[in-house]
Amino acid sequence: MKTPIITALLAISISASAQSPKQILAQVNEKFGKVNDYSANIHLQFDLPSIHLDPIDGKVFFKKPAKFRIKTKGIVFLPKQNPYYSLSALADTNSYTAVYTGEEKIGTVNAVILQVLPNGGENDLILGKFWIDKVNRVVLRSQLTTKSSGTILLDNSYGANSMIAYALPDQMTVTVDMAKFKVPKMISADINNKSTHTANESKKGTGVIKLSYSAYSINKKLPDSVFTEEVK
Amino acid sequence: MESLLTLVQLELYKIVTKPRSFIGFAAITAIVLLVQFALYIDGKTYWEFVTQSLEQTFTINGTIFNGNLVCFIILQMLLVQMPLMIALVTGDLISGESATGTIRLIATKPVSRAQILLAKYIAGAIYTVLIILWLGLIAYGLSLLIFGHGDLIVLKSDGMVILRDADVAWRFVAAFFVAFLSLMVVGTFSLMLSCFTDNSIGPIIITMAVIILFTIIGTFDIPIFDRIKPFLFTTHMIVWRNIFDNPIPKEQILQSVIILILHIAGFLGISFYHFTRKDIQN
Repeated sequence: MKTPIITALLAISISASAQSPKQILAQVNEKFGKVNDYSANIHLQFDLPSIHLDPIDGKVFFKKPAKFRIKTKGIVFLPKQNPYYSLSALADTNSYTAVYTGEEKIGTVNAVILQVLPNGGENDLILGKFWIDKVNRVVLRSQLTTKSSGTILLDNSYGANSMIAYALPDQMTVTVDMAKFKVPKMISADINNKSTHTANESKKGTGVIKLSYSAYSINKKLPDSVFTEEVK
Repeated sequence: MESLLTLVQLELYKIVTKPRSFIGFAAITAIVLLVQFALYIDGKTYWEFVTQSLEQTFTINGTIFNGNLVCFIILQMLLVQMPLMIALVTGDLISGESATGTIRLIATKPVSRAQILLAKYIAGAIYTVLIILWLGLIAYGLSLLIFGHGDLIVLKSDGMVILRDADVAWRFVAAFFVAFLSLMVVGTFSLMLSCFTDNSIGPIIITMAVIILFTIIGTFDIPIFDRIKPFLFTTHMIVWRNIFDNPIPKEQILQSVIILILHIAGFLGISFYHFTRKDIQN
């Protein structure tokens, strides 16, 4: 009984290592490529240094090739790039060089690590590092070094609300480097607040935004107007 | 009780008939309308200056510039200046009558001096309530009407708090209540000074000078001033701002509210003590 299972696992492992990095990325893209558009419910949580922002619910919309919008009834801070920025960047396999750099466990899942270097200098992406699920061929983690936003770390998890067949996670955790927000006392008019900052204290911090998706609705031909209309 | 009510009505009539009583209303209206106009025209540019460092990393979605934010900006500007407008009226309540000699006439009426002072104090408190309500109406109501609803961004010197729209209205009500207490401290202080002098300019000028001095001390981050700050009523007058913190520092707010009430009680006690024993010569 054990022999066929071991054989199957070995076969998967051999096939993973046997494939070229570009083939692996093409498999990842194939899943996401099935998504023409989607909408879903979203719950956003923020952990930003020196900024207190309560969680909020909203709706999220995506349409190929790169239309993305989160609609909420309140103020939200979102990463500059849409979360599928990296997948869009990988769509054209001729536009980058991919290198296999090893394997790692993300939680309990075995992942292949691939590094991606864009070929053209005009690309916003300088360097991309992807941790790809060996079995399901979905991106578990990506680390993107960009010209516009510095380094962004994206962790995806594929739980009960995910659409793994389309490479759509149910939770994304975006980690960005950011400077601590500070304004002069005279502008903030915060006279009573005694500053606790010291000269040696780092002015840099790490901001985390957690996006939890649920109730995905895929390929329902979303109109373009959802990406432009005002939130009521 | 009936005589006290009559006295309060008389005092209110006196306040209403004095043109200086309307300076506060006129000044508040002019300032609020001016700020609203300026923010309507150029508010987004002003705000972009504040958030430009954040927008290097994030896209900020949502209606940042809204009625709640405009009202908060106005309160920040006005609640420091408003005590002066209150002092214009309350600093004149006793000394004004001493200067014209009418206080002797009132003192001959079959009412106690305590009742006279209490009536004047109640009239001053009603005036303060009306000023606060007027401020609430045009700073909050009109701003919401012009700029609409939205989440409130509260700037702090070491960060930023963003409060959801549904969580803001009650905070403004609480802030207006704390502002009322703060203004009553100033009102009672100038009333107390008014009991000691025979001209109304003195109490008004002294009240203004004390507020300016205390505010300057409160603004500087100098260690020697840090020891004095907790004893200045102006330090506790701006505690309304803490109501817009998250989580709310309840203990600090409660402590400041108690200190403000104690100031009111102290100034009022001195006023009663002096006025009921005062040798009225004018």
